Amino acid sequence: MIAHAEAKFPNECCGAMIGKIDGDVKEVTSAEPMENAYAGAQGARYELRPEDLLEADKRARAAGLDLIGIFHSHPDCDAYFSKTDLENSCPWYSFVVLSIKGGKFDHANSFLPNAEQTAAEKEDLIWPKS
Amino acid sequence: MAKVLIPTPLRQYTEKHDSVELTGSTVGEVLSSLTTKFPDLRKQLFNDEGKLRSFVNVYLNDEDIRYLKKDATPVAATDTLSIVPSIAGGSAGVAPPPLVSLSNDEILRYSRHLIMPEVGMEGQRKLKAAKVLCIGAGGLGSPAAMYLAAAGVGVLGLVDFDVVDFSNLQRQILHGTPDVGRSKLASAKDRLSTLNPEITIATHEVALSSQNALELFEPYDIILDGTDNFPTRYLVNDACVLLGKPNAYGSIFRFEGQASVFATKDGPCYRCLYPEPPPPGLVPSCAEGGVLGVLPGIIGTIQATEAIKLIIGVGEPLIGRFLIFDALRMRFRELKLRKDPDCPVCGTHPTVTKLIDYEQFCGIHPAPEPASVQNIQNNATEISALELKERLDRGDTLKIVDVREPNEYQINRIPGSVLIPLGDVPKRYQELNPDEPLVVHCKTGGRSAKAADFLRSVGFKRVLNLRGGVLDWVDKVDPSQPKY
Repeated sequence: MIAHAEAKFPNECCGAMIGKIDGDVKEVTSAEPMENAYAGAQGARYELRPEDLLEADKRARAAGLDLIGIFHSHPDCDAYFSKTDLENSCPWYSFVVLSIKGGKFDHANSFLPNAEQTAAEKEDLIWPKS
Repeated sequence: MAKVLIPTPLRQYTEKHDSVELTGSTVGEVLSSLTTKFPDLRKQLFNDEGKLRSFVNVYLNDEDIRYLKKDATPVAATDTLSIVPSIAGGSAGVAPPPLVSLSNDEILRYSRHLIMPEVGMEGQRKLKAAKVLCIGAGGLGSPAAMYLAAAGVGVLGLVDFDVVDFSNLQRQILHGTPDVGRSKLASAKDRLSTLNPEITIATHEVALSSQNALELFEPYDIILDGTDNFPTRYLVNDACVLLGKPNAYGSIFRFEGQASVFATKDGPCYRCLYPEPPPPGLVPSCAEGGVLGVLPGIIGTIQATEAIKLIIGVGEPLIGRFLIFDALRMRFRELKLRKDPDCPVCGTHPTVTKLIDYEQFCGIHPAPEPASVQNIQNNATEISALELKERLDRGDTLKIVDVREPNEYQINRIPGSVLIPLGDVPKRYQELNPDEPLVVHCKTGGRSAKAADFLRSVGFKRVLNLRGGVLDWVDKVDPSQPKY
């Protein structure tokens, strides 16, 4: 996810997170980069093609895994869940936002939008660090 | 029994099943069985009005049902339905258009829309949030812009750089007689803001070009092509494809019009239909061939209708269908169009990935050097109206050949000229003496340049083309004659 986000800098990147759900714990086992299909300037916008997501879901099912979330990057700004993010999200998946500053990964957060998409709860996001 | 695949986070509502077998002969029936069986799913998938929530897409096997028959799409027992969310976002403070609200004045203004369930408050809000760009504020742009403004399209953009001419008034109903000589955009803005002061009229007084098209189109949702020439038509098409914006297309000539919707996500584009432009000069423009004044009224309103349908998301858009209208016979015909996988711009392996030089693509070359320079080189191919008048007054023997059509010849003419319409020149040139000095002319000089080239190719040595045609003659020599 970080490599994809850095490679797409200064544009926003996006993709799907595949993994397992065990109770309250969602574990990402692989990330699938996807094309940012937003038609305009991509410095501060992204859009996923539903077809790409459908394919990712099929591959995950075939591998006995689950599509558990979506990731995207915020070039040169913090990893918040913006109004744009919230309104164009969906309530079912976890949304990981990566902050990329000057082309380098800075920090990340995960969000879970509520059913009405009026707010998003921050989730604990942990990953191995060197 | 059709299979419905349940996304992971929704399995909490389906007793952990990752797929469910359900009965139903259409997508609507299967989804209804699903929410009957698992009532908690209903509010995840449907809004209060019972419509799929805006982010929910349903795929029948690999196809989005929106592009099939929506809820009415038939489902076979072997079919699989998938529920796939639309997801987008971004750090931008530029949020997507907020759900606009309508004032009481607006509700009254649009009441005939609001009482129809297909439009309603939601559709009218979509219109208010929409941005449509009309290329050209002329024949097609006039009715299209007026109806889009009246319908309440929130931002209506207009691109044009021309001024209103008397000859426009026969069809360009945005402009009135007192507007002659004014910029078309200033005139259009006055008219449209009187029609509907609630909307924003954005005027772009520039010549659309490969340099500015993408930037100009970017803020808009739909582009309405009201152009009158091939280079701009291909430019508009390619820019729409590159930006993924629908192109509500229309064109008109004499008594016949065409309309379609190009460059939608899965639909064909103008180049799928016409990969290459016709050779220059083969298809006359409206200025050369004429156009029935009411015709753009019909075609332009069809374009506006399609734009409104796309915005509201109702009905069957004119995608993959090419509508041909014949005003003389009062008939509409419809051709099926397919997206061409080999299309140079929207095909699977596009060769056009950025905007090109469309003048060159359409075989149009820059205007030749002015004749005065060529005269100095003692290699004259052109003559001006004043020079012609001078030579006639001197008593020079000059044969003047008018290559226009007979009905143009009835409007105005140069005294002593003979009429041989351009199309007849190849079979009638033997009526002329190849050794006698000839001056050929048409309305503005384009057709007669072709006639001059042809005559030279068959051995005429002394052929001069009248620069600026009969219009320049009327301006400079004989203002008593009418122009057209």
